[in-house]
Amino acid sequence: MPNAILDPTGRAHVAAAPLPGLVLAPRPPGLAGVRIGLLNNTKHNAALLLAEIGNLLAAEHSVSVTIAETKPNFAAPAPADLVQRFRRECDVVITGVGDCGSCSASAVADGIVFEQAGLPAAVICSDAFAVTASAMAELRGAPGYQYLVTEHPVAVLDAEQVRERAKRLVSEVVSMVTEPAGR
Amino acid sequence: MTSLLDPDAAQAAIEHCYEQGWSDGLPLVPATQPLVDKFLVAAGRSPDEVIGRLPQLDRVVTVQLAAINAVMAGCRPEYFPVVLAAWEALMRERTTAGGGWQSTSGPAPLIVVNGPVRTELGFNASGGVFGPGFRPNATVPRAIGLIVRNAYGIHPHELEQATQGLPGRWSICLAENEEESPWPPLASELGLPDGVSAVSATLLRTCEFVDNRHTSSAEQLLSDFADTVGRSGSWIFEHASAGVVFCPEHAQQLAGAGFDRAQVRAWLTERSGRSTAELARAGKDRLEGRLRLPGDGEPGAQFHRVLPSDEPKNLLIAVAGARNAGISMVVRLFADWSGTAVPVTRPDAAGPTADNKVEI
Repeated sequence: MPNAILDPTGRAHVAAAPLPGLVLAPRPPGLAGVRIGLLNNTKHNAALLLAEIGNLLAAEHSVSVTIAETKPNFAAPAPADLVQRFRRECDVVITGVGDCGSCSASAVADGIVFEQAGLPAAVICSDAFAVTASAMAELRGAPGYQYLVTEHPVAVLDAEQVRERAKRLVSEVVSMVTEPAGR
Repeated sequence: MTSLLDPDAAQAAIEHCYEQGWSDGLPLVPATQPLVDKFLVAAGRSPDEVIGRLPQLDRVVTVQLAAINAVMAGCRPEYFPVVLAAWEALMRERTTAGGGWQSTSGPAPLIVVNGPVRTELGFNASGGVFGPGFRPNATVPRAIGLIVRNAYGIHPHELEQATQGLPGRWSICLAENEEESPWPPLASELGLPDGVSAVSATLLRTCEFVDNRHTSSAEQLLSDFADTVGRSGSWIFEHASAGVVFCPEHAQQLAGAGFDRAQVRAWLTERSGRSTAELARAGKDRLEGRLRLPGDGEPGAQFHRVLPSDEPKNLLIAVAGARNAGISMVVRLFADWSGTAVPVTRPDAAGPTADNKVEI
């Protein structure tokens, strides 16, 4: 009998055991009176895009933005204490922009963590990073997890163009975080 | 003897490895436990020891997994302690625990080997030191790439998002040409005792050589380096770190003019950079947070240094290559460098020491 060829991934035993699927957080029927949290991942224009979406939601849906924070490290998942603060201070999270190799995957991982913590989340990624964002969803046991895509690039837009993007995204954000969830 | 080898079985095993998605594109050596065991013995490390972790991807690297990937890369067992030292050196880089391996920059590790292990294992330190042609130089960095691919599960077009990737990615491992360098070895500069085998490593954003073999002036030579170190192209934050792999001729010319490593570094730190007007032309004259962005275009003579300081961690200096021309490589670092060297350790063949390891 020849020697077996060894697996270099350390995952040979994992493939057989599928991860439990993701159960999304319950959605409110509408946004009136809902508290919004914004999590900016530090990528250029992310803060402005999120703030503009927050303004539009406030004007059109009577929400209030009750917490806005910046991720300490765009490449790493949001730390547990940050997730807890959002859990205390808001009802719905909007986060992004997935606009780089690691931060797109990381933004999707954050969205999944927020859902698991009971917070409906809208994750915004650039369409150039959809493959890596979806790969992370699969890795986190949430294949098919839906996030919002916006046309690449985002970082080179001027302020007016960012506001235009926010207008185009806002209705998608609403359907992503309200009942019936669009996924 | 060759008549006893079975090329058909070898080809089938190589194809099997491709089919599993383990390959970086080139054929792999199929790993078996008896060969992996030789690697583990050569390193004297527990197979279960965890040497890398990416919680965001739910992945760990153990010594056993590193050994399997080193086998597949084509390493010999005695190279494995160098692979482990290179891996540890890279683990000291901030970005390797974050998003470095997934980055659009597609950074390439630069691995520098010092000490007796160079000659003992046959590392190339002279002509064509950036490769190819030498088994240890080629397979040690390839092992690092395979660990990232297989143990971390970071595959191109999926979790790895390099826009173009750096030429030489997973293939830059050079031994310092200590014999023809006028200066002490890099590992000694970083604080290790002379004669200790060691590995230093960081991630590169780009590299570009300087061809200067027409001047006897050390200042003219250094000015040529300052121009390349100061380029705006890969300079995106307030400062950027760099390195120079000097060929022996350039290093000796500088040493002959009285420059030691620290003096070369101080000279280049002071003079490598761009004026406000030059940065404005590239839309990089204004700082917002960490990023360089277009400013008001105000022309100015103010000079902006690219290097944050003249410490070794901001300008790695090594000597390697043949002594046949004045051609040296400038490298730009992906992020910070730890500015440290990791000793190569292996079990003491003459008997165990207190911790069963000895520096070679």
